[in-house]
Amino acid sequence: MNLLRTLRKVGAFFKRDFAIARGYRGALLLETLEALFGVATFYYLSKFVDSPELARELPAGSNYFAFALVGFAFFDYLSVSLGAFDTSLEEARQNRTLEALLVTQTSLPVIVFGSAAYPFAALALRTCVYLAWGALIFGFAPRTANWPGAVMILLASILAFAGLGILSASYSLLFKRGNPAKWIVLGLAGLLGGMMYPVTILPKPLQMVARLMPITYSLEGMRAALLDGAAWRELWPSFAALLVFAAILLPISLAVFSWSLRRTKITGTLTHI
Amino acid sequence: MPAPAISVEALEKYFPPALSGWRALLHPFARPTERALAGVSFKVERGEAVALMGPNGAGKSTLLRILATLIIPTLGRATLAGFDVERDASGARRQFGYHTGGDEGFYGRLSGRENLAFFAAMNNIRRAAAKEQIARVAGRMGIGGDLDRQVRTFSTGMMHRLGLARALLHGPAILLLDEPTRSLDPLAAADFRHLLKEDLVRQHGVTLLFASHTLSEIEEIADRAILLDEGRVIACDSPRGICASTGAANLEGAIACLTRNPVTAEALR
Repeated sequence: MNLLRTLRKVGAFFKRDFAIARGYRGALLLETLEALFGVATFYYLSKFVDSPELARELPAGSNYFAFALVGFAFFDYLSVSLGAFDTSLEEARQNRTLEALLVTQTSLPVIVFGSAAYPFAALALRTCVYLAWGALIFGFAPRTANWPGAVMILLASILAFAGLGILSASYSLLFKRGNPAKWIVLGLAGLLGGMMYPVTILPKPLQMVARLMPITYSLEGMRAALLDGAAWRELWPSFAALLVFAAILLPISLAVFSWSLRRTKITGTLTHI
Repeated sequence: MPAPAISVEALEKYFPPALSGWRALLHPFARPTERALAGVSFKVERGEAVALMGPNGAGKSTLLRILATLIIPTLGRATLAGFDVERDASGARRQFGYHTGGDEGFYGRLSGRENLAFFAAMNNIRRAAAKEQIARVAGRMGIGGDLDRQVRTFSTGMMHRLGLARALLHGPAILLLDEPTRSLDPLAAADFRHLLKEDLVRQHGVTLLFASHTLSEIEEIADRAILLDEGRVIACDSPRGICASTGAANLEGAIACLTRNPVTAEALR
């Protein structure tokens, strides 16, 4: 009953954000074009840097364009996961709806999760647009892809990244603005997670640091599933690592969030901008 | 015997001091030393209209926000229809509607109906029931004909009515209002006051606790007024009773006298 009620509320958040986004139809067209420019940039960059040496470092059967395209498209998931929860809080504070929401019979965690529903759905669409541009114009051809495997890796990644996102939202609850943790995580993930180049080309100590970040396993698994058509058995290590991250990060982040919420209700800064 | 609509017992609230620069990072962990409420106690019976009045910083909004479960008190206890606002916040939230006098707090790109439907869902009202309830409440507020317009095109007065409609969606027995007629023109404010007193309190038996600086509004709506100063209750009586106890001709004079502002008090006497 409670789960059903929560799902209904998440649906209401989705409907709200979809209706608001519908009011900005031009933006959707511009984002689609922006994706095309991004994909084209990777295509010409890959023509410039592709070499037999680089090919040896890439997953079997792929080229640098496909490697970078998958890295770029799925790095977005980390970025949105880190931002979606605290952005929803920030927006509600800015348009003064947070107070009105908090006096309803909906708890703040549901408000925060519900507000992230639309950004995640929009992100899935954006990822499809990236891959579609790659396939339609630039010869990206994931013919052997293990799509169910890719979906499982994606879901496990979202769970693992959500833990980081909730920690980020806790920071936003307490300190309101300027979230250095978010930028440090994104910066480190961009540098070490293997978005634009394989982790194997990094010095050994940095490779060890990369192994402590969920994005590394997410990109490895996603590339193996999409570019190499890896079987479930081969995807399992990345999938399991992501679940371990989720199992550690989610309870910790929810406890931190709950503590931060109580703290802001004590300091009276819950709705402060 | 049913619990009073609102019961506040020895409520105290301290906030951490404001910190600036890098020390602002310590604010969430700072010791609360700034007193906002100092042992406030009162009861509001069902169907009563009670005003909170007092100078800026007296603690009116803090008190309302504690009752609205937005702030946790430092000491003391408050209940709404028997539900403790701290220990059973979700039970308490079912009992009240909360509206602040601003004309913000809505999604401007959505219509009035879409806004109300969203907040109805947040209050666990099923879609079919919400549709009926929205029509009923909006009709009562006099905005039924404008519900399909985007909220950003609403006037301030309509936003207030929409805010009140939102607060009433789940049929609460208690209304908590913070400066309900702030930023309304005199005619719209008079209209809004009439709506509160005649329709909600008299006809529907809603309990009303509102903070206001507009003394004529307090005299018109409130059965009783609570005067707060520096976080303490310094008077609690009917507006006429408060005037009589100080010998002042009006509430303004009574407040000046009771809040130890002798110059203004003498001028108003």
